Amino acid sequence: MEAKKSFVKINNISMWYPQKNKTLSQVFKKEQQWVKAVDNVSLELAKGEILGVIGESGCGKSTLGRALARLENPTQGDVFINDISTQNLIKEDQRKFRRTVQIVFQNPFDTFTPRDTIEKILMRPLKLHGIEKNDEERRKKCIDLLESGGLKPAEEIMKRYPHELSGGQLQRISILRSMLFNPQFIIADEPVSMLDVSVRAEIINMLLTLSRENDATVVFISHDIALTRYISDKIAVMYLGKVIEYGDCETIINRPQHPYTQALISNTASIDPDEEREIIKVEGEPPTPVNPGPGCYFAPRCFKATENCFKQYPETVEFESGHFVSCSEI
Amino acid sequence: MVTSKKGLYVGRNENKKFNRTLLKIKSDTELKFGLTGLTILVFVAVFASLLVPFDPYFFGPDILNKLGENQHILGTNHLGQDIFSMIIYGVRTSLMVAVGSALISAVIGILIGGIAGYFGGKIDLVITECINAFMMVPTFFLILLIIALFDSSITNVMIVIGLTTWPSNAKLIRAQALSIRERTYVKSAVAMGETNLQILFKYIIPNGIFPVLANTTIGMSNAILTEASLSFLGLGDPNVISWGQMIFMGKQYLTSAWWISTFAGVAIVFTVTVFYLLGDGLNHVLDPKHKSRKGA
Repeated sequence: MEAKKSFVKINNISMWYPQKNKTLSQVFKKEQQWVKAVDNVSLELAKGEILGVIGESGCGKSTLGRALARLENPTQGDVFINDISTQNLIKEDQRKFRRTVQIVFQNPFDTFTPRDTIEKILMRPLKLHGIEKNDEERRKKCIDLLESGGLKPAEEIMKRYPHELSGGQLQRISILRSMLFNPQFIIADEPVSMLDVSVRAEIINMLLTLSRENDATVVFISHDIALTRYISDKIAVMYLGKVIEYGDCETIINRPQHPYTQALISNTASIDPDEEREIIKVEGEPPTPVNPGPGCYFAPRCFKATENCFKQYPETVEFESGHFVSCSEI
Repeated sequence: MVTSKKGLYVGRNENKKFNRTLLKIKSDTELKFGLTGLTILVFVAVFASLLVPFDPYFFGPDILNKLGENQHILGTNHLGQDIFSMIIYGVRTSLMVAVGSALISAVIGILIGGIAGYFGGKIDLVITECINAFMMVPTFFLILLIIALFDSSITNVMIVIGLTTWPSNAKLIRAQALSIRERTYVKSAVAMGETNLQILFKYIIPNGIFPVLANTTIGMSNAILTEASLSFLGLGDPNVISWGQMIFMGKQYLTSAWWISTFAGVAIVFTVTVFYLLGDGLNHVLDPKHKSRKGA
């Protein structure tokens, strides 16, 4: 692979939440337990690259997305976009940061306030950021925007309230609105998981086209491995707040090294019914994110686990160029 | 394309929405009675000067007239004032106190509760404790004390009632804000670069105001009662005609001229009932989980 210069650099992002229900002894000892929803995630992305983040529910995918979009402040770590620290950027010029980084949410039915028409919803951010000179021009921009996204007649749609539109239409508006500022870094948090299967492809293609036009870097969070494979250049697999495997899309799908990734991919439905493959069954639930133990978090459920796995969390090794795995059995 | 087809039905949709709201109002008996009562009260308050047969502030020669005597429909009091005219003018006082105090209480409650619920954390902790402390105070005696110490004008009564009844509104909007701030549209507003204050006024408060509206109407009836009670204890505004005062003044003539107190009392009961029905009805209509017993 060509060595592209990294554009977005995610540096040791962690998102810890204090544990609420303490036991009595913890209260006396003043021990603070943390739920490590995202723990030391470091990734690098080139400009225009699409990173797919996969993992089972509760593994911290969405929390990572929220931390990247600064909807919540990460406990530690920073994200550098074009070598500019977002930590500093958000302090100096919050609006500029919001123009650079945008997020598309999972639930289109709840993304817009129910009290406003689409017109107001679209005009508000433009006014807020002082884009275009007057309302007339802003309105024109909104109409052009909706029509470019295939929402016709735009004039009619502008007059509607969110509850009068379908999920697909709303998600399209949501994506279009995110693109208003030509963002450099887009986080898509399961943008199609709540939509009808029939409109998913349209929405995904729209997101891809628009981000390609902007040459934006995309973090695509999903639990749909087939979909992620279709769209992304790189894949990061998360388990209990940590990235356990990371590399080029095809490498991960075809030659997964971590047992968890192997299990995950083996369970993906294939179009070809004759394809011979072994489905790896993973039993049990992931351990609690409060003190998951000294060893590899996946060890209790792992089919390859050895004694060694329970002793210490494995270091991340570069299995081959650009393919990182955290497993001690490699 | 699906989108272009749908555009044609906009007008119909709006019509449907309006009809649904109308149907909801019609299906709720309490709200229907409440609205009718309120219309009557507002009408009387606005056209009071046209409706009265005598000037209620006029101390005439007809003292303690019986019902219907000398064209006084409901008689006169010991100062020769016409009771019917006084009751009609009393509507103005009652409504003024109700609306004024409810507005003050709603504005303070929404601001404080909204801030507590949206910002959360330490701010919430402090404000919630303040609200709890305020709720412990015996409101009526506090009002009594303040009115007794300061001037007992109708404006003062209004302000004091407003200042002592906001905690229930604050609690309601705080609970709403706590849940609304987790909604996606608030998160997306953050992502669009809106400031905390913008979010509070644009998203949290407008979307969480309904329970406060219902509570405020019930609060209005309480305000009317409080004002009447204050007047009954002789702490009302002596320059304004109020039902509570009429009861207070008529008390000593109860055996000989029962009409002075009785009709003012009936008027209070009617007005308070109207506001209670309105508040209850609003609660039903605005709560999507509430279903009418008819199954409609």
